[in-house]
This record gives sequence, structure tokens and C-alpha cells, in this order.
Amino acid sequence: MPDRFVAGDRVRTRIADPPGHTRLPRYARGARGEIVATAGHHPLADERARGLGSAPRAVYHVRFPASELFGDGEHAVVVELWEDYLEPDGSRS
Amino acid sequence: MSGEHASSPVAAQVRHVEALLEERGWLAPGEVDERIDAFAAGGSPAHGAAIVARAWTDPGYRERLLADGNAAIAELGYSMGGALQEQKLTVMANGPDEHHVVVCTLCSCYPIALLGPSPGWYKSEAYRSRVVRDPRGVLREFGVELPATTRITVWDASAESRYLVLPRRPDGTDGLGEEELAGLVTRKGLIGTALV
Amino acid sequence: MSRINDVGGMVGFPAIVEEPDEPAFHADWEAHVVALNGAMLRRGVYNLDEFRDAIERIPPEEYLAASYYEKWFRAITTLLAEKGIATPEELAGA
Repeated sequence: MPDRFVAGDRVRTRIADPPGHTRLPRYARGARGEIVATAGHHPLADERARGLGSAPRAVYHVRFPASELFGDGEHAVVVELWEDYLEPDGSRS
Repeated sequence: MSGEHASSPVAAQVRHVEALLEERGWLAPGEVDERIDAFAAGGSPAHGAAIVARAWTDPGYRERLLADGNAAIAELGYSMGGALQEQKLTVMANGPDEHHVVVCTLCSCYPIALLGPSPGWYKSEAYRSRVVRDPRGVLREFGVELPATTRITVWDASAESRYLVLPRRPDGTDGLGEEELAGLVTRKGLIGTALV
Repeated sequence: MSRINDVGGMVGFPAIVEEPDEPAFHADWEAHVVALNGAMLRRGVYNLDEFRDAIERIPPEEYLAASYYEKWFRAITTLLAEKGIATPEELAGA
């Protein structure tokens, strides 16, 4: 399956609070960012943590302005996220 | 903090579980000691420092390191294969207007294969909670005051990659050889909580 | 779910403390815990994500009170019991 995103794509992280282990930090939920690079392909941690088989899928470095995550701040945070956590951001900032 | 002494109850519990697992064949005799020795002989900040010193003295190497960390560290005989599988290494270069700092907010992911065991502060809730929110303030706690114009990027090791910061080469070090340069590089410099 | 490990952006934790000349381990048992965990992971008794999950499931007040490797040991024994390697009573030495 081709990767869903490429560098430069604008994405939005999912808001949902999953029932178990996940690697989308709370502070980065529902946030808009930009794909910096694809960082390889790996089984989804959420599924592996439940002992399930999981197919490798793309993982990305995603850059967020601090203001998008916390409402203020001049810095940026790059979070490494599985594509399951992301959806295309159609909105204009 | 509890559990710092060999005589603590947890030490006895660990011995008990270890013996139980050996008895049931889940651990081979001597396996734990072998692993402890292997761990002690593994990564060390000296590895990260050697990589940085090479990047400071060889522009071609610097370029390769930033483009493909795993391939570049292999040139020096290092690998990210200390864990169960080879981990992807991403190296970020600090510049005159740019500073990078690494954290794992969810647990304590760290490039052990290159830097050895992580320091306690790196694993602390204090560091993990604050550095993503206020990196400038956290850097100040470490005695690092960056110009207001410096762009700061925090890298949260939330998945499979591990990160290494390539600090700026200090001024006035033109005459130094690779080994002397490596001697200037600290573990904190490689994490981004020190300038070098 | 938002668990106690997910602290990024939270306020209220104390100042960052650096320990000069910090050793890799503060007691032998900590090294044993790391070795034990490595052995279980390599044998496939559990995987690394299950291990992280087990740490995250520690009740918040215990998570915050425990040292780093105490959390590890607690997660290991949780998983050994859940995977049927030994009962909680056997693991506790009762």
C-alpha cells in the first residue's frame, strides 16, 4: 500500500482517546502540523501492545508550531507519528 | 526515592523472580550476568562524541550523517542495533539560528546504542513534561541561554526513531584534532541540553 | 487513554535535578531488572509495546512514587503473570 502522505503535506492528528496503549501524546491530539519526512514503516504500537499482528505502515516526522499545541510559544515540536494517527488537513490556517 | 539500596525489599524480590524463571527454564543459568556485562560494554557518550568530531572535521561526513544517520555511523563502526532491531537514527544539526533538543514524553526512548544508559534527569517527569512546553526555560535550567532569535525545535521520540543532536563546533578550536574535539563533546550536548 | 506516563506539556513537576557522575545503575538489582527484561523480550514472552503498556497501567499514585526501575520490575511481573509464566503468588514468593 502506498504511503498516505509525503513531506510537505499538511495533516491533522486524531482527537479520539483510544482505549489502551498509544503513541500519540495527549498534547499533540487534534493538532495541525506538517509532514517533515517519512521515518520508515512499522507495525502500529497500539496493536502490538495488545499482542495483535500488525502490518507495517508509514511513520512520519510531523512538525507542529508550539502555538498550535499549547496556544503560545515560539518553538516547534517534531513528533513521530504513525499514519493511523493522521488525517489530511483540508482547513486553512 | 526508594529502591536505591541493595538491601531494599525490591532487591530480594528481583532475586526471587530471577530464580523462579531459571528454575522453570525461562532464563538460562548465567544469562542475566552475561546480559549485564554486554549492557555495560555497549553504548557510551564517547561514541556520539566521536561521530560529532568526525562531522566537525569532514564536511562530506557531516552531509552523509544528516542525510542517513545509520549509514554514516556504520562508517565509524557503530550501529543502532543494540536493541531488538536496528533503530532509525536521525541527526539534527544545530546552527547559528537553530537549536535542537531531544525528549521522550511518553517513556524514555533514547539512543542507548550510541550514548549508553540515559541520565536520570532525561527520564524524569520534570524534564519530559516541561521541555515540549517551554524548551527555553528548561535550557535555562541547564545554564543554556539562547539568543531570542534562535529557533528551537524539540524532537519527541514517540515512535521508532532515535535522535542525536550535532552541536555547533565551538569557536577557537581550529587547531584541534579529531580526538581533542571529541573530548569537548558532552552527553548533554548530544541531547541538546548543552551547547556542546 | 490518557495515562499517567503521558506527561508532555503538564505543569507542576519539580525542578530538573542533575546527578553529578551519575552511575548507570544505583543498585545491582536495577541491572538485573534490565537484563531480565531483555531476556524476556528476546524470548518473545512479551514485546516492547506490551512492556510499555504494562508500565502505563501502573496506578498513577504508584507510578509517581516508584523509581524508574521499580516501574520496570512491576511491569515485568505483571506480564509474567498475565502470560501465564507464573502466578502472582509465585512471583511474590508467597
